[in-house]
Amino acid sequence: MPAETATKELILPAKKKEWEIGRIFKRLIKNKAAVIGLIIIILQIVLAVFAPAFAAHNPVKQDLSLAELPPGTDGHWLGTDNYGRDMWSRLVYGARISLFVGIGAVALGLAGGITLGLLSGYYRKLDGIIMRFVDLLFAFPGILLAMLIIAILGTSLLNVVIAISIWSIPTCARIVRGSVLSVKKQEYILAMKSLGASDTRILIKHILPNCMAPIIVFATMRMATAILSTASLSFLGLGAQPPTPEWGAMISAGQDFMWTSPHMIVIPGIAIMCVVFAFNVVGDALRDALDPGMNLEN
Amino acid sequence: MSTVNVSHQVLYSLKNVKKHYPIKGGIFKTVKNHVKAVDGISLDIYKGETLGVVGESGCGKSTLGRTILGLESATEGEMVFKGENISTKSQRQLKPFKREMQMIFQDPYASLNPKQQIGQAIEEALIIHTDLSSAERREKVVQLLKEVGLKEEHYERYPHEFSGGQRQRIGIARAIAINPSFIVCDEPVSALDVSVQAQVIMLLEDLQKKHGLTYLFVSHDLGVVRHLCDRVLVMYLGQMVELAPVERLYENPLHPYTEALISAIPRPVVGQRRERIRLKGDLPSPADPPAGCAFHTRCPLATELCRAERPEWREVEEGHFAACHYR
Repeated sequence: MPAETATKELILPAKKKEWEIGRIFKRLIKNKAAVIGLIIIILQIVLAVFAPAFAAHNPVKQDLSLAELPPGTDGHWLGTDNYGRDMWSRLVYGARISLFVGIGAVALGLAGGITLGLLSGYYRKLDGIIMRFVDLLFAFPGILLAMLIIAILGTSLLNVVIAISIWSIPTCARIVRGSVLSVKKQEYILAMKSLGASDTRILIKHILPNCMAPIIVFATMRMATAILSTASLSFLGLGAQPPTPEWGAMISAGQDFMWTSPHMIVIPGIAIMCVVFAFNVVGDALRDALDPGMNLEN
Repeated sequence: MSTVNVSHQVLYSLKNVKKHYPIKGGIFKTVKNHVKAVDGISLDIYKGETLGVVGESGCGKSTLGRTILGLESATEGEMVFKGENISTKSQRQLKPFKREMQMIFQDPYASLNPKQQIGQAIEEALIIHTDLSSAERREKVVQLLKEVGLKEEHYERYPHEFSGGQRQRIGIARAIAINPSFIVCDEPVSALDVSVQAQVIMLLEDLQKKHGLTYLFVSHDLGVVRHLCDRVLVMYLGQMVELAPVERLYENPLHPYTEALISAIPRPVVGQRRERIRLKGDLPSPADPPAGCAFHTRCPLATELCRAERPEWREVEEGHFAACHYR
């Protein structure tokens, strides 16, 4: 053994501290589509938070003398709808609603999905039961499940959030379960067991943080789906009720005036499209950025 | 070598410990067979000694380490730690014993949570087993970091910022944080460079002297085992083949399998060649070990008796045990 010769401790200085989030962000903004997506998302957040400052008019105040003004009219640059309500103001307040629904539905869905996923991935005995329940939820087509839940709970925006979150649970649970199955075989989990750590401690402090990458991607993508589904449900009359300035409801109300005032459906349509597009590309880019195996130089 | 500290006080006593994994198959997942990873180990581990466990891959040496720590429940047998039989205890009842027994892992890259600062990783043991305040814990962690040759400023770093040897030191600090008396070292240096190996081994020796630790040192590196261990257990297909004080095992191996292992050690002396015993054939499956002596399929001395009868485990000379009909 050369042990006797190596009497002096040879310890390399640890590498410079690097923030993981910063590294991921750097990789993210290399993707041009993701930058556009991020700008749209930030714009939506700013509009939603400061809606009263951006909106020139009350979004629900009717003035029939100003009905169906085309975009470009003085004082109403995006025009007005059939009740004379300012389209821009309704759009801005609509951003608030879609953001609320998106965040609310995704947060609730994640809470349920992560809990089920962690339990079924970690405890083999619960796995069968939880996964069959998840299969049951999967068996319903998404919108149908949401409609069913709203039919039970009644029509309101909050119930839309609940319906969409329940619809997100099975997918999320499957994703989390898969990650847990691979993480729990890691040696550092065994190390924690040999220290005598409780299951709760292992699940929350050691398994969950190492499952975050797919969860973050799922949450971003699911935001787009949630916003789109809210619009669909509102269009069908199951979500936001008039006169709430919800984008889907605005399209629904504008259908009758499609030929005379197309801006009533085109403007909220474009808004939905932009936001959904933004969340999708950012989700895609995040998936690439979080995967260290991807070479973004090429 | 740490012979000085070795007492004759038994710390951990194993009696016929077995760990069998069921192989399930068919539509109804019925148990078809068992993988006999550890198949009847009986031995005493003395306080303060370093007991080496050697054998080729798949002989059950790592499983033995995990089983005696209670990380795997033993299928059969009795495990008596400091006078208490722990083989029948539940995970909850085992917690005070887990404080006494720790493990150092083979792969320093896989044994640390990549999302946790290393200071917190070491602190974890203190949170679980002590009532120290967070300031006291921090102080203790810093002291542990220094003890294994790291610095205070490493506390907030993440595992990926360290080299393999440094990570192994972190793993060691985590294992000794709660002052255990018994540590299973599962091939702690086999993933490291030779120069780093030497440093880590010296660290293990220092800590043993300082804290009076008892090691179970699982390894396939016979050179390291000779340097570090007091006694050596040779395993083959989950069974005990030979157990002897280290020098006696290397100078006078009794079992043909041990002989073959020892003849495979590279020798740095020019001109002096020792006959290399080459074993024929592959390691048989531990699900279906050969009848009689498990080694008879590859043994140069095998006879009818070996094929028919499992050799008895006997003390050939004082402190030197072997399981062979002909030695």
